[in-house]
Amino acid sequence: MNLKQFLIRKLMLFFTLSTLITVAMYVLGTVFDPKASFGYEGFLSPLIYAGACVIPSLVTWSKRELKPRELLLRELLQFLLTEAVVLGLAFRSDVIDTSRSAVVLGIAGSVLVIYLLVFLISWAANSAEAREADRELQNFQRLHGVELCVPDNTAQEN
Amino acid sequence: MDVKIKQIGAGDPELVIICCREVTEEVREIAAFVRSREGSLSGSRDEKQYEVPVSELYYIESVDGKTFLYTKEQVYETSYRIYELESLLRSKHFLRVSKSMLLNLMKIRSIQPALNGRLSALLQSGEEVIISRSYVKDLKSALKGE
Repeated sequence: MNLKQFLIRKLMLFFTLSTLITVAMYVLGTVFDPKASFGYEGFLSPLIYAGACVIPSLVTWSKRELKPRELLLRELLQFLLTEAVVLGLAFRSDVIDTSRSAVVLGIAGSVLVIYLLVFLISWAANSAEAREADRELQNFQRLHGVELCVPDNTAQEN
Repeated sequence: MDVKIKQIGAGDPELVIICCREVTEEVREIAAFVRSREGSLSGSRDEKQYEVPVSELYYIESVDGKTFLYTKEQVYETSYRIYELESLLRSKHFLRVSKSMLLNLMKIRSIQPALNGRLSALLQSGEEVIISRSYVKDLKSALKGE
């Protein structure tokens, strides 16, 4: 993946996160602080959190093609950094009551849920693409299979 | 001359048999055509030189400036560069799937999703290789015959 494709994917991630964070804020706010009221600046919170959450995902960038194990480790690092960033922002906020452990756990849990949802959304899109490519592959092999017959199936030593 | 195509099991060796009363020029031409469709590449293994049939190759990979040919069970080193093989093998159903790899489309069992928006190809040998995001478009075009 080149840098341009990588950044486009991160932009898509930003919008997905903005939506999911808005939902998470609604759920957490309703549970922990249902009487709170906000001004228009409240609309910016999901965008700020989404922007902050995209930054840790830059650890998955690599010029070379990462092996599945390497990518898995970087995904884990991304998740831990995201938790740190979101909790860091929450602790600095005057609006969020981080003295209550239930609130902190709720925020940490919602980061995990959002992380998994983003992963599932991305996986679902990727699966659909893989299924289509697989169908094309089966057709391709049916059409071209006859052309690749092998008269001698062993490598010949010179 | 009648033409029959018989489908065989995955483990059976593929073979073209020409049944003829006499080996005529026409038969020789047909045999030459079949062989020309196949081709082979020179590769070395354990300090010995081999001619490896192209149709046996699963993928070709460049590692640290060296190029390796992978068959079901063996790995051969070749003096070709990956970009040279890319143009040489374009008509033999080989496609670049990452910066360092050419994959034989006829040796893929299935295409599956992989992490980070990539695809992976499960080969008939059971091995799995990653198809880089940058080459997915080329793969789709190749499979559609474009």
